[in-house]
Amino acid sequence: MKRFERRGKKLVTSFEPEEVQLLQSLVQQLVELITEHGRRVEESTPAPAQPDDPFAFWERDLREHPDQPEVPEDPVLQRLFPDAYPHDPRASSDFRRFTEQDARAAKLAAAQVVLDGLASCRDGRDLKVPLDQADAWLKTLTNLRLSLATRLQITDAESAELLSELPEDDPRAFLYGVYEWLAFAQETLVQSL
Amino acid sequence: MGRMSAPGGAPAAPSGGTAVVERPDADSLTQTPWVTIVWDDPVNLMSYVAHVFTQYFHYPRAKAEKLMMEVHTKGKAVVSSGSREAMERDVNAMHDFGLWATLDRSE
Repeated sequence: MKRFERRGKKLVTSFEPEEVQLLQSLVQQLVELITEHGRRVEESTPAPAQPDDPFAFWERDLREHPDQPEVPEDPVLQRLFPDAYPHDPRASSDFRRFTEQDARAAKLAAAQVVLDGLASCRDGRDLKVPLDQADAWLKTLTNLRLSLATRLQITDAESAELLSELPEDDPRAFLYGVYEWLAFAQETLVQSL
Repeated sequence: MGRMSAPGGAPAAPSGGTAVVERPDADSLTQTPWVTIVWDDPVNLMSYVAHVFTQYFHYPRAKAEKLMMEVHTKGKAVVSSGSREAMERDVNAMHDFGLWATLDRSE
């Protein structure tokens, strides 16, 4: 791909067909991960009680205050939806309950903007990101990079440095290359604003 | 998004017309403001973090860059302060941008 460049009210680049496919596949995996997580959370949450049924309301209220917060098990999801109160599991759990559904929807909406943009640049056409969609792209590129970094166990600058020195036949080398490519896309997108 | 305290605690209303004093909220007693903290992580690009601070908080470029450098060099920075509700909104927005953010009471 080339650097993103600003042309009027659009941020423009061109992807190779393989790059479009790769990015589509990564975004689809992200969408599946978040959608599946949402399904699990909703299955474990009882249906809303009827307002005229106080017993159902109390039962639900009690069940909605578990002793343990519903922290996702997948480390990628933990990074995408981190604890808001690191020293207060109960408050973190409440925060999740009140915000996470919208947070998931927001990430999915941003991912959809990227998928729509990629669908429009098949057949070698330039990708043109309208300025008002730049943040959806930046957020989605970030979510992909956070996901890959978690899988690659990038925990600090040193671990990233070590990955950059892997031999080409190491299976992690390809993923790290993708991670770096996404960084290039994101960096030039920010700079083009 | 509400204040994230557990519901309940409302005193039972007496049968007469007596006024009921509501239990004061712990936060309003101490008047301690809350802060949004953004933590350093090895993934997010410096340019992007500065962009988020200008985009979401509408901070001037110089302030956004300074906060970004503080996150980068000191490991964290307080990026906003205010009511608990406002800080939960900010933390939620930072998570939406993929930044690692938490709430805490102001020191």
